[in-house]
Amino acid sequence: MKQKKTAAVNDQWIRAKKVLQKKFGFRSFRNGQEEIIRNVLAGKDVFAMMPTGSGKSLCYQLPGYVLGGIVLIVSPLLALMDDQIHALRAIGEVHVRALNSMMHREERARVLSHLSDLRFLYISPEMLNQPYICRKLAQQNISLFVVDEAHCVSQWGHEFRPDYLHLAEIRAKLGNPSCLAVTATADHRVRQDIIELLGLREARQTIMSVDRSNIALAVRHAANDEEKMTRLVHLIKKVRLPGIIYCASREWTERLADYIRGMTGKRIAFYHGGMDTEDRRKIQGQFLNQELELLCCTSAFGMGLNKSDIRLVVHFHFPGSMNAYLQEIGRAARDGNPGLAVLYYTNEDHHYPEGFIDSNFPDDRFLQLVMNELDRGHLKVKSKEQFINDLKERGAGDTAARFIFEQIQSRLPANTYLSMTNNLRVLVRKRRSVLLQELAVMEKYLKTHECRRAFCLSTYQEQLRTKPEQCCDQCGIDLSVFGSDPETSEHKYFPVLNWKKRLAWIFDEEPQ
Amino acid sequence: MYSERLFLFIIWQFDGERTVSGIYHLLKGKKTSQSIQDSYLYHLHMLYHSCEDVDRQEIWTLIRQIHANGWIRPIDANGTRFVLSTSGNEKLQQMNAQLLLPDALYMTNDLMHEGQFWLRLQLLIQTVSALNDQQSSFLPITKQSSVTEYVRHVLLSSHLNRAQLKKRLYQEMYCLLAGIPVAEANCLAAQLSGARMSGLTLKQIANETEKDLFECRILFKSALRRMMNRVSEHEQDFPIIRSLWTSSENGLSSTAHETLELLRSGLSIQEAAVHRKLAPGTIEDHLVEIVLKNQTFDLSDFMDHALEQSILDCAREANTKKLKEIKRRLHDKASYLQIRLVLAKHAGEVVVL
Ligand SMILES: [Zn+2]
Repeated sequence: MKQKKTAAVNDQWIRAKKVLQKKFGFRSFRNGQEEIIRNVLAGKDVFAMMPTGSGKSLCYQLPGYVLGGIVLIVSPLLALMDDQIHALRAIGEVHVRALNSMMHREERARVLSHLSDLRFLYISPEMLNQPYICRKLAQQNISLFVVDEAHCVSQWGHEFRPDYLHLAEIRAKLGNPSCLAVTATADHRVRQDIIELLGLREARQTIMSVDRSNIALAVRHAANDEEKMTRLVHLIKKVRLPGIIYCASREWTERLADYIRGMTGKRIAFYHGGMDTEDRRKIQGQFLNQELELLCCTSAFGMGLNKSDIRLVVHFHFPGSMNAYLQEIGRAARDGNPGLAVLYYTNEDHHYPEGFIDSNFPDDRFLQLVMNELDRGHLKVKSKEQFINDLKERGAGDTAARFIFEQIQSRLPANTYLSMTNNLRVLVRKRRSVLLQELAVMEKYLKTHECRRAFCLSTYQEQLRTKPEQCCDQCGIDLSVFGSDPETSEHKYFPVLNWKKRLAWIFDEEPQ
Repeated sequence: MYSERLFLFIIWQFDGERTVSGIYHLLKGKKTSQSIQDSYLYHLHMLYHSCEDVDRQEIWTLIRQIHANGWIRPIDANGTRFVLSTSGNEKLQQMNAQLLLPDALYMTNDLMHEGQFWLRLQLLIQTVSALNDQQSSFLPITKQSSVTEYVRHVLLSSHLNRAQLKKRLYQEMYCLLAGIPVAEANCLAAQLSGARMSGLTLKQIANETEKDLFECRILFKSALRRMMNRVSEHEQDFPIIRSLWTSSENGLSSTAHETLELLRSGLSIQEAAVHRKLAPGTIEDHLVEIVLKNQTFDLSDFMDHALEQSILDCAREANTKKLKEIKRRLHDKASYLQIRLVLAKHAGEVVVL
């Protein structure tokens, strides 16, 4: 009996290796993937922490070809869903669909009526919370329940999403398929929350190092913005591209893009959340197609970005946490070749992340005002959209409005809204202090005199075992390793502006 | 600069009766009857929806700049309404209105459909190009489901195979672009995406061609309207592109059109509102839109001829299009709706100077 089982496991593993080569085009697994996939195929609950760019999607995509039934992937980020579906289609997969609130009713109905044909279904947590969708799914054979961005379940995390708290319950309704929870970054508190709140049983854990040894780290202090700009231009002229430059505000992305274009003649564009969706997609497309060398953007850019040859990531302003920082620089050099991450800061720059933290939460007065209005019926909760809009009209930021909406869901009918105010205040204070602590660590990183890599790792309770040759500015980096070779930098791209030529190119016809 | 001249022209037409927000809504093409009505009343309908991607900040920057040049002056305390100064007037006299606004900008028959049409056209071309390049997946320029569903339908229902479709679409596009001024054609085509080539944004086009962004927007809109106009007039020559939108009667929005049908069947405003589960105010807005676009519409259901005449006389005499002012002068004998309807019906003739 036991022998039979071992044989079956072996068969499965041979099939997995074949899929890896034939479908995904890899000869061998990367670090950590094998262990995770073996456990998933064996039907265990698995928690995996894998840094961005280490191939976490393969860990649930590959089992889709070995296990029968549907692999259900819960993901909070629509852009990420899109990109993964895009990537799966590119390797010839047709049985993959998404369900999210951005879709047309008809399209959603079409997906729901063909569930049994699917191999992969990407779904947003709010869709999964819809009873009728959950019922439809319960009739299907779900072979694997994947929770992407699993840190969202934890209030300690910086991206807490209350929708995630229902996932354990939903999984039970779907007949308790085995679960794979993945995240790029989670400290020990968050890890504990994930295992507990998602109800993982005897979870097998694979924790990979957050270290990306092929990315060199540098931090530069500057007296003011002008000095930062001069240094940045100097750097860009010397090092290999394409590159991303992160800024804290929309205005800065535009200003900096103009400045760099003027000073270097590089093909550069800006990208931020205030632009039209279509314009954003065009810019993203240009960056993917090598039509741009540089992109100035806010943190709105980069989620699920599928580009492995980014050579440079610059922070013109620093983000609010090491988590965010590592995620952003992690977009560099996924192909394994050298990448460079440079951060510039002045003594005033901490205002940006601080301001951002403040905008996340309602202040005391606003909270009280809203609760009062709710009790009096001046403010009503008819739908999430309407309520959040009403709060915004009263001056709340988007995140703060969402926060209030989520919190008032837990009110007991017998209580007034006003009676919740104190608890909410405490919660805001607690969450704020978590974020401020994370910011403090980030600022400590800027000023540290020890090895930057060792510092990064220590925030995840890791030790630096082997130091790469190009480690960090404290250990010393040789910039010439990252230098642009004259041949490629001379090859300039110019957009086709003549309509006849452009049309001919697009339609693959001879120009008339 | 082009944008300065454009704004002087708009401010001159509004003549201090609308705020800077009004300019924003006009250019952006806000879908409220107030904005649509204003565009007709002040003879600016060719500019309605002409700069979809504009933002408020950009407009304020321009206004401040023109103000600093001394060409306009505010007429209210908060500085939201402006009129031309003497030097602004002189500046305006010097310019050639035809150079400012290409003739095709006035082809507004299908204005309500141009936004969707443009997205569909871009997505169709991108998809056809990608299929031809054997790309099974690409980053579509839009994920708006109303657009993707439509293009999907067009592709699936075509009787042509891929190669034929590509050839035909190329020919249709070539023929259309060859028939419009080169600067306009370039502005439109540069935004198109294809296999391994992403379209440029209007801002990028302005940068590359060293033109004013507003000029690029207007050139593009003119190109688009020229195209749609030609396709409507020669349907049989452009079967694929013609299938990307359906015209509605008199260029009405579909919701206003639905209301028109109900009113024609004899329902009152109240009854139409109940029937459509809309506020009576919305039905009134539709009515105004209907009258604006069909100025032979008979108003006798809503007022007698004498009242219509006195509202008209009053508007001319007082030299204003402000509803409140007209209502006051008529000692409240007319309702707001009645005044709006009369102004709408005579939008073409009441030229206030
Ligand atoms: Zn180091």
